[in-house]
Amino acid sequence: MSRLHQSRIADFQEVLGEPTVALAKLRDLCFSGIPFDGGLRCLCWKILLNYLPLEKASWSSLLKKQRDLYSQFLKEMIIQPGIAKANLGVSREDVTLEDHPLNPNPDSRWNTYFKDNEVLLQIDKDVRRLYPDMAFFQRPTDYPCLLILDPQNEFETLRKRVEQTTLKSQTVARNRSGVTNVSSPLKTTSNSLSEYEVLPNGCEAHWEVVERILFIYAKLNPGIAYVQGMNEIVGPLYYTFATDPNSEWKEHAEADTFFCFTNLMAEIRDNFIKSLDDSQCGITYKMEKVYSTLKEKDVELYLKLQEQNIKPQFFAFRWLTLLLSQEFLLPDVIRIWDSLFADDKRFDFLLLVCCAMLTLIRDQLLEGDFTLNMRLLQDYPISDVHLILKKAKELQDSK
Amino acid sequence: MAKKTYDLLFKLLLIGDSGVGKTCVLFRFSDDAFNTTFISTIGIDFKIKTVELQGKKIKLQIWDTAGQERFHTITTSYYRGAMGIMLVYDITNAKSFENISKWLRNIDEHANEDVERMLLGNKCDMEDKRVVPKAKGEQIAREHGIRFFETSAKANINIEKAFLTLAEDILRKTPVKEPNSENVDISSGGGVTGWKSKCC
Repeated sequence: MSRLHQSRIADFQEVLGEPTVALAKLRDLCFSGIPFDGGLRCLCWKILLNYLPLEKASWSSLLKKQRDLYSQFLKEMIIQPGIAKANLGVSREDVTLEDHPLNPNPDSRWNTYFKDNEVLLQIDKDVRRLYPDMAFFQRPTDYPCLLILDPQNEFETLRKRVEQTTLKSQTVARNRSGVTNVSSPLKTTSNSLSEYEVLPNGCEAHWEVVERILFIYAKLNPGIAYVQGMNEIVGPLYYTFATDPNSEWKEHAEADTFFCFTNLMAEIRDNFIKSLDDSQCGITYKMEKVYSTLKEKDVELYLKLQEQNIKPQFFAFRWLTLLLSQEFLLPDVIRIWDSLFADDKRFDFLLLVCCAMLTLIRDQLLEGDFTLNMRLLQDYPISDVHLILKKAKELQDSK
Repeated sequence: MAKKTYDLLFKLLLIGDSGVGKTCVLFRFSDDAFNTTFISTIGIDFKIKTVELQGKKIKLQIWDTAGQERFHTITTSYYRGAMGIMLVYDITNAKSFENISKWLRNIDEHANEDVERMLLGNKCDMEDKRVVPKAKGEQIAREHGIRFFETSAKANINIEKAFLTLAEDILRKTPVKEPNSENVDISSGGGVTGWKSKCC
């Protein structure tokens, strides 16, 4: 370990060693990257994302309270509906004159169940394909949710719910002599889900944990529910917490990720809301902000992109909505997020990072035609995020 | 500006519900490969492929869109510049087929009137999971007077054929003219010579 690195760790330990963490100091340190060692990053992210308060004395009671609360959510939103569903076959008390599976009433529990299934299936599609280049999310977690995986439980888990919902349909064909032929996909062994290894009962893959986090978030935030791309926001958070070298924290990665994700979404959720697209807080405004900042910093490049009609929607939509998580490898994304989370104006720095990404490839962009430039922007060529962050900082300081 | 290496430029757009395989269809056509592990498309993606039709080099600029409802304000702004639109559903997903009429309405609202449309029923290699009979796809295509193919990006069925047919149909409407400007404006719909097609 280099001496510089050691002294950086010491700096972090000093700030975090005080009974009350000095936020401004911590932000300063985090902005230049947080060491992984000793779980520093996990701890700092939890503070920066307002999950942990600055007074350290309150940490243990707060964590206990929040983790219990999360268990409560699981019971209410996954286990109880699951038990109700499982009991259906035995006693049919859920099917009453007032409420039954065909009840279109918005208050109907059945209606809610089917609506939730739609959200769950969308989440399922996306989390299965989370970071496909990495094995991590397909691997079993060391801390499967015991509440849910208890073999005594007969209730419908999310896994069973997805299986039942995707496999229930049958093809009915009637030939001219009136013979009805029902072919059920259940009979076959191959299905699209099996392309991904299904872990045995009692185990769950990391992506299943992420699925649960997103499902609970969707249930608790029905106004936004689930929008594609949220999986790419929760992914790096969960990965960071689930690989915490400190196993006491790592064990609670699911609950901690949930609350940090919720706090992070509180700040960036407007990007995901269609009806806000054209408002002051929506994504369109932010995309335009990238271009107006570029115009200030590099007018020649700005004019070139304008002339080629390369709109910020073509690339900056993804950059901004996903906080760059699809543009770089995961460790690099995490490094960028250190700086973003440390930004005291909250994600103003993201606009500058986007600008830096443009100006760093300005020579290529000025040379290229529409096609070449689109390719550069959609498949960004520089992988050295330190260079990008340095440039962004320069742009910030040159104001 | 770089020297043009093509005679015509056609802008195509892929739309349809999320998870029906738009990105895979495009990837099969552009890179002749298949990948089961595509991440979901956020916003819009873009690929280029040059093909030769009737002795002409045609550059296809193909835009791949995100399927989820949330992205519609972003994606519908691309409709107007498109000369061909491929509307994709998944033959193993009934809902994606039911939504076809919604997507067709979207085209009516946002695309050029003379845009060339095509319907694709993807994942036709998964016969055992089929829930949308081929005849149903044919019927809705007939009702709207558009072409229809069942495709499989995985088994490489009809993918190239679909793209080339769509390109041919556009070419048929395109008056013979000198090469287009490279300066592309997908959002305005104008700016591309040879597209404002003559009426027959």
